[in-house]
Amino acid sequence: MFKFRSCALIALAVTMAAPSLSYSATRDLRVAFGVSGINSMEPARASAHIERAVASMVFNGLVRLPAGSANVADVEPDLAKSWTRTDDGRTWIFKLRKGVMFQGWEGGAPYELTAEDVVFSLKRAQDPKSSNYASDYKGMTFTAVDPYTVEIRTPDPISETLMLAKVMNYGGGFIISKRAFESLGAQKFRQHPVGTGPFAFKAYKPGREVDFVANANYFRGKPKLPGVEIKFMPDQSSRTIGLRTQELDVIEGSSEQSWVNQMKQYPHIKIETFGPGSSSVLFLNEDTPPLDKLKVRQALAYAISRKAVVAAIGQETAQPLYAPFPGKFLPGGLTNEEVDRLGLAYHYDVNKAKKLLAEAGYPNGITLKVIHTELSVMLRPMESIQAQLRDAGIKLDLQVVSHSTFHALIRKDASQIVHYMAWRPSADAFLNEFYKSDSDITKGRDPVANFSHYSNAEVDDLIAKAHREVDSAKQAEMWKKASVQILKDLPVIPIFQARSVIAHTDRLELGYTLNSNLAFFMPITEKTDLKD
Amino acid sequence: MIWTISKRIINVIPICFFVYTAVFFLLRIAPGDPATAMLGDYASASAVAALREEMGLNQPIFVQYLHGLIGLFKGDLGISLASGTPVVDQIRAALPYTLELATASLVIGVVLGVPLGTLSAVKDGKLIDHVSRIVSLAGLSIPSFVLGIILMLVFSIYLPLFPAVGGGGRGNWYETLVYLTLPSLTLGLIMMAYVTRVTRNAMMNVLSEDYIRTARSKGISERKVIMHHALPNCLVPLISLCAINFIMLVSSSVMVEIVFSRPGLGRVLVSAMLQRDYVSLQSVLVVYAFLIIVVNTFADILYSIANPRIRAK
Repeated sequence: MFKFRSCALIALAVTMAAPSLSYSATRDLRVAFGVSGINSMEPARASAHIERAVASMVFNGLVRLPAGSANVADVEPDLAKSWTRTDDGRTWIFKLRKGVMFQGWEGGAPYELTAEDVVFSLKRAQDPKSSNYASDYKGMTFTAVDPYTVEIRTPDPISETLMLAKVMNYGGGFIISKRAFESLGAQKFRQHPVGTGPFAFKAYKPGREVDFVANANYFRGKPKLPGVEIKFMPDQSSRTIGLRTQELDVIEGSSEQSWVNQMKQYPHIKIETFGPGSSSVLFLNEDTPPLDKLKVRQALAYAISRKAVVAAIGQETAQPLYAPFPGKFLPGGLTNEEVDRLGLAYHYDVNKAKKLLAEAGYPNGITLKVIHTELSVMLRPMESIQAQLRDAGIKLDLQVVSHSTFHALIRKDASQIVHYMAWRPSADAFLNEFYKSDSDITKGRDPVANFSHYSNAEVDDLIAKAHREVDSAKQAEMWKKASVQILKDLPVIPIFQARSVIAHTDRLELGYTLNSNLAFFMPITEKTDLKD
Repeated sequence: MIWTISKRIINVIPICFFVYTAVFFLLRIAPGDPATAMLGDYASASAVAALREEMGLNQPIFVQYLHGLIGLFKGDLGISLASGTPVVDQIRAALPYTLELATASLVIGVVLGVPLGTLSAVKDGKLIDHVSRIVSLAGLSIPSFVLGIILMLVFSIYLPLFPAVGGGGRGNWYETLVYLTLPSLTLGLIMMAYVTRVTRNAMMNVLSEDYIRTARSKGISERKVIMHHALPNCLVPLISLCAINFIMLVSSSVMVEIVFSRPGLGRVLVSAMLQRDYVSLQSVLVVYAFLIIVVNTFADILYSIANPRIRAK
């Protein structure tokens, strides 16, 4: 009996040991995202970071943010080699590069990009039935003047900053293949994207991964990597182990400092933290007492130490935020230093918070109802805020729900404080969606995300005027003025600016300097490579 | 027997219908919908309304219900709201991974648990019995995701013998086996704990029976008494346990699938839940219900083979 058992164990051990040699590294880049799947690979429907990251591999915009930068001021030509604006500021002419080839697809051969594809893509981005970004293109018309010239007309004059943000490699700005879309159909195109980017779609395995192959016809040159495998791995610990065993080359990291510190200890693994990440803010519902009183809102602001919140998250993975959106990445945003100089930083002062509450008529403190998502990246800082507010006599009745329930409930006005983490590519988008009275979630003419029910005619006017201003410098000034007024009225308490975290093997060569990225992930370009 | 099987098969229809109906309406009572989940922080009222229309969620609820039900009877499980792929394709891709994981775990559990439980009963009160009870208690107490991570650390990092993540490709049995080893060991060791306990208890009861005493008094060797007289009589409770646990393994494989980033039905289910993908969720739960009925029917057949009294009834 024992002999048999020993033999069986040895046989099992030998069988188990042998395969260790069979999974040596391939040259394809293996990337793991912390998601359980991908909803859409059509860029106009991309909303999750994985979808944006995939879009930036497969597609191009007319212009682009260079890899590693998220600052609209850095925009450079991409599919368009040049652009001009007419004097009225409403008509834009984009001249396309010649010889840019679309990738082939199931049943379709590669063909040259023309203005027709650009017009088709932008019209799709404009249609609310097919795009998450339709409001960015409202009232615009797109015309193919000739095969290499596209004319875009806007209902109002528009600055270069705003125009380029609409046609860059983000959101609705990606150019898709018209022929592939018509041949595959909308449903299939969601899982079989066809663009002009450095990597072409290869295979989609629902719930597991999506694979890409190098686009040999890419107009900037053939990619160094033969392919990329994007894997869906929601569990952080398995991603970490996969990287340590070198079964993966790049993984989405955790925003926890302890994880970052732990990863730094492993040889052959490198950590990258970069911006812009999402802006974490608390929207205060001004329609519900006691938050209708400015002094109560100020008390809340003084009772929260942004530094303590950042300490609870991680010094490398978050930075304190004092402006409604950060000037570091967006023209027209205020930097923390500017807010500080204006005296609107509301630095932590619990005694001042208590005094303001008493002056507002609440000497015994207040209780506020908060619906909050279960996502730990948001819940952890909120728990720190809850503890801090308690010291000032402000009790948060925190009700934690699933993330989709959270999004549904906050839009039904169910929460007195809405903790929101988001990023928008322009100051105009931030101000329009979160602070314009028309965007009020219940009373607005075009409800978007004004959770505070904030309404200030002066701010509305500044947002509208800035939107029409063609001079980028004057426009940025107006946006700053709007931000200052918002900080005075305090419908929002800025908390922190998150930073994206990835870890990768030291074999990886990015091919650029990674400072920031709008997809919240490292761009994979034609220059990205794996060292032997 | 044929009548029992036929009854079970007929039962599939009302049970699947009930599961589909209950899940359909319960999901829609919960706040949040797939459009909101998909759009995330871009979920403005107009964007949600447009996406809901595209997904067909703006149709009256009973129209949606009937549409789905008719599809189900035709064998069409619908199109996933989240990914836009046919649900049947998702299930077809995931089910083999889950079934092979559950089967391998069950085999490991039985192969290790039956001898350990038997030994424990035979050596009652001895060191081996204490060790087996401690091992069994540890197996019952340790969560699968903790054991999974421990096995990954030991066999993928410190002793790099097995892949830590993924499920391997289809069609290559060797690769399938390699990728299956750690996940199936994770569930198999937990399964072993259950099997050890049940086997030990059953064996203790059987060993005190008169026919065992008779066999021993006839001078039959102890090994023969255990293997030929006692062990077959322990099979009846074991079959029930295996049937129940196979279902449990299928449904609890989700944690292991997530920890090992292994494809499977559990991952499809969790992903559908997170994304409020009603269509996928309904279909996967109907498949689960179907599996439960099939396994129970199979257990009944085995049960009657192992127990002649049931067969006689």
